[in-house]
Amino acid sequence: MRPLVHELSLVEALCKELLQQGQEQGWARVTRIALRVGEMRQVVPDVLLFCFDVASKGTILEGAVLDIVPVPLLWTCRECGNVWPGDAACALCPNCGAVRTELQEGTELEIDFVEVEDFGESPEEATKECRSCQDW
Amino acid sequence: MPRLVNIRRSVFEEDRRNAEAVREELGRRGVLLVNLIGSPGAGKTTLLEATLRKNTERPETRRFRCAVIEGDVATSRDAERIAALGVPSVQINTEGGCHLEAHLVRKALGALPLGEVDLLFVENVGNLVCPAEFDLGEDFKVAVSSVPEGDDKPLKYPHLFHLVRAVILTKTDLAPYVRFSPERFWGDVENLNPSARRFLVDSIQGDGLEEWLSGLDEWLEEKRRR
Repeated sequence: MRPLVHELSLVEALCKELLQQGQEQGWARVTRIALRVGEMRQVVPDVLLFCFDVASKGTILEGAVLDIVPVPLLWTCRECGNVWPGDAACALCPNCGAVRTELQEGTELEIDFVEVEDFGESPEEATKECRSCQDW
Repeated sequence: MPRLVNIRRSVFEEDRRNAEAVREELGRRGVLLVNLIGSPGAGKTTLLEATLRKNTERPETRRFRCAVIEGDVATSRDAERIAALGVPSVQINTEGGCHLEAHLVRKALGALPLGEVDLLFVENVGNLVCPAEFDLGEDFKVAVSSVPEGDDKPLKYPHLFHLVRAVILTKTDLAPYVRFSPERFWGDVENLNPSARRFLVDSIQGDGLEEWLSGLDEWLEEKRRR
């Protein structure tokens, strides 16, 4: 495990989380992943997709469509309650100038949902499925 | 037929559990964990050495009992520098990894005399990006940025500077020799994270260390009051 870009660190954590859930819940394959990514994370989508292709090889995640859903920054002021969409470079409340502000949205790295295929009900079918993908 | 499974869970779920375990243990013991993050060469280890030395000069009643977890890609040089000062230290080598993770810190806690520690520093792997993403179970993160790195670091790495409780500007003695605008640096820090405490430190001459130690006093006291 030698992450050279931070996208790879994120993808490794993503794969680990989903592979664990897949094992617990007996998924045969994951076909789609919806990932909410806050703007503050400075993720480059193409790099994330490339890292995902590499990291998912040979797992139940291989070939899954990775949907990156960007989450823009949303600040909230703890003094006056003002909520505003803003850029990363300014955390001061534009309404009252307060410094006690926080990011309500924009730091997410959250798996929203996945689409999965299950193994067949009978053990025979499960065996068939394994043979057909030749990975197991 | 594919079916939909709602997850609504952070990518860092497993890491979060380890971080919580670290936080719980250190909370119970009243140990303050400070996660120092900065570029390679920002002066993190030198700042730590200077902090530990300055601490020994304080009156005994105000002296912290310190320990250090050193994160590096390779070598145990930093831990040796800390151990040379008589401070318990553990070296974690990430062998190529660009940041520390909570499970590594959790394991390292086992090698430290936590019953005799007030203040535990983690010196993260030199990097301004990945270490910001990972919760180690710390009380807070601190950004360490040096004058020769330039005044644009807060704006280029907003996630880190937004998260931290304090920003330490090191190598302030080099200001006359490099182009560095304190107004721009601190202006961007102000905009990104208005409540961050600010420290200016020259680790070699010792300027600014007393203020930094006083900040640590307040944070430790605050933690133990809770």
